[in-house]
Amino acid sequence: MSLSTETYDVIVIGGGVAGLSTAMQLALRGAKVVVLERERIGNGSTGRAAGLLGQLRGNSEHTRMLMDGVEIVKELEEKADVEIFVQTGSMRIAETDARAEEIASLVRMGKSIGFAIDHLPADEVKKLLPYMRTDDLIDACYCATDGHLQPAELVSAYVKVGKDHGVTYKSNSPVTEMLMAGGTAYGVKTQDAEYHAAVVVNAGGPWSYLNAEMSETTLPTAAIGHYYLTTRPDSQQPIDRLSPAIRNRELRIYSRPESGGLIVGMYAAEPEIYDMKRLPVDFDMSAMKASQASIDVALLLDAAQRRFPWITPQTPMNITTGIMTFTPDGRPFCGKMPNIEGVYHCAGFSGHGIVQSPAIGVIMSELILDGNSSYDLTSISADRYFDVPELKARQDIDTKCCEMAGNYYGKVERPSAPAVS
Amino acid sequence: MKILVPAKRVPDTDQKIEVCEDHSGIETGHLPFVVNPFDAIALEEAIRIREDRVDAEIVAVSVGDLEYEEQLRTALAMGADRAIRVDCIESLDPWNTACVLKALVEQESPDLVLMGKQAVDGDCNQTGQFLAAMLDWPQATFASRIKCLEDKLLVDRETDAGIETVELPFPAVITVDLRLNEPRYASLPGIMKAKKKEIAEISMGDLGVQNAEKMHTVSVRSAKTARKRVMVSSSCELAEKLRESLKST
Ligand SMILES: Cc1cc2nc3c(=O)[nH]c(=O)nc-3n(C[C@H](O)[C@H](O)[C@H](O)COP(=O)(O)OP(=O)(O)OC[C@H]3O[C@@H](n4cnc5c(N)ncnc54)[C@H](O)[C@@H]3O)c2cc1C
Repeated sequence: MSLSTETYDVIVIGGGVAGLSTAMQLALRGAKVVVLERERIGNGSTGRAAGLLGQLRGNSEHTRMLMDGVEIVKELEEKADVEIFVQTGSMRIAETDARAEEIASLVRMGKSIGFAIDHLPADEVKKLLPYMRTDDLIDACYCATDGHLQPAELVSAYVKVGKDHGVTYKSNSPVTEMLMAGGTAYGVKTQDAEYHAAVVVNAGGPWSYLNAEMSETTLPTAAIGHYYLTTRPDSQQPIDRLSPAIRNRELRIYSRPESGGLIVGMYAAEPEIYDMKRLPVDFDMSAMKASQASIDVALLLDAAQRRFPWITPQTPMNITTGIMTFTPDGRPFCGKMPNIEGVYHCAGFSGHGIVQSPAIGVIMSELILDGNSSYDLTSISADRYFDVPELKARQDIDTKCCEMAGNYYGKVERPSAPAVS
Repeated sequence: MKILVPAKRVPDTDQKIEVCEDHSGIETGHLPFVVNPFDAIALEEAIRIREDRVDAEIVAVSVGDLEYEEQLRTALAMGADRAIRVDCIESLDPWNTACVLKALVEQESPDLVLMGKQAVDGDCNQTGQFLAAMLDWPQATFASRIKCLEDKLLVDRETDAGIETVELPFPAVITVDLRLNEPRYASLPGIMKAKKKEIAEISMGDLGVQNAEKMHTVSVRSAKTARKRVMVSSSCELAEKLRESLKST
């Protein structure tokens, strides 16, 4: 039986925020694009995310991407008529000298690039966050222009604008094979069709390393478990929907308001690694559940209770668990690999894929259509580990990425002053 | 006061369930197993009763093979004081499960058996009723609220006609419904304590019971889903279609 064949300019594997943003930006520039999604659009990591947006990163180029991303989102909100960005402001808090130093250097760096950030006196912290324990804090800083993106709204905006510009979306269409000839990809295969295109984008999220294997490429990403809790609204403990997001790196937790309740999530020291090969083909990430005796949940509850003493195991709450995609250095992989033409990778967004996605779409479309980008991509190029023999075997990759994930909040950061811009 | 809480190991039914090719059961290879959600609610209620009155002891019990220890460990982590596993490699039907529980009740003499109204694998909804009848104890099924007083229990039952409140003396059997409470996640100290606890093992022989099958599985098949989809263009049309389909059923 011969399969039906459809031809496009670009095939995007994966209907998460990375693939959807890329597809939309390509279509805005006139490309004919199809998005192939194995399950449902936006139901991978994207469907689990809390959407926290902290724009100030240790690297000024990443900060620029996130700040530009906010502008893209504001345009999207108009085009799609939805609220995506909720500007709550964000706060970092420090209860140790090392963390206070971390905050001090972050404030210095932020100010040097004109980003709205400053130290916040303890009484102000208390006023902004009456539901948080503050008596042990040494310092805090506040970024008024931060907040969060609502993942579901962002997905629907990408799809709406994409559709308006001719993007085709196919759910329940797992890509099972990469079509290649002479070191160049020319399309992909699903169970019931062939798709031909000169460019294939691997935006497979946690599955991205398996997709890379289809093009005989090792992509050092790993699938790592993550948990957060959402308390139910409680009249005894009102939480304003515009309360600032909180990052408490010492306790490894972050927090933001959600529908009258509070989200508290944790970057665990020893997170769980998933073997994506062993999950069922039709694996539905939204059906993932934490066990009643999960050690990860217990650790999360413990840390949450230290910062928000009113949260106890008896507090009515939902636990959300999902899979993130980590890389050995915590930065994504965007672009081509030297061994094969026509395949662009776009994966490994750790805990920041939602908020990185607006700029990532622009970057990917520039790379694909122009061959270069208006951003400096050195730190996110796909081939930066291509020749590293220690990052070839699955187990080594998992170990390295897991270490990175464990250090994510754990390690004290020393942001370097940005290069003169 | 002693509360016995049976806890069954069941596959997580929120996952995609597939029937084995030979129709002998469901494919369990890839499925996570959990404490039967209704049993977790029963356990949570027992813990809340203990939080109210300090003298309560909670004993979690399971009838099954070594793998059931995982669920008993969960029960201990959530807050059960002790755990007993009645070793049994077969999967028992409700009647035989009740026989085992009865023997265990005679050994442990609890004041209250607090259990799920049903297990989500078989959905039988019989074990609690069988057990109460075998013991000749009062029972309240489908509990959505339990008030544990000094000398009696007040239970709200969910019935098709509405909420019925019943009063029971001790000892009694109560089976719990979904709306009774929300089971907690285990705390860190809870998990640590549970790790050190021993799970007592008893054989069916020790209890003097034998599995005498009353229910036999002939074949397992998945229900046909004959879902018809129609696209409608307005909410009025949707309302009309719903009205029609309600009339025709
Ligand atoms: C619990 C949790 C909390 C998070 N919180 C935040 C947060 O606060 N802020 C933030 O910015 N980020 C957060 N993230 C991270 C964020 O969700 C991810 O970085 C982001 O969604 C990644 O998007 P993606 O498109 O790369 O991956 P995904 O959303 O996983 O999309 C990849 C898609 O590709 C599909 N796919 C894979 N292989 C194939 C194939 N062969 N054929 C067809 N389809 C395929 C998958 O089904 C999937 O839908 C969180 C993640 C989790 C799990």
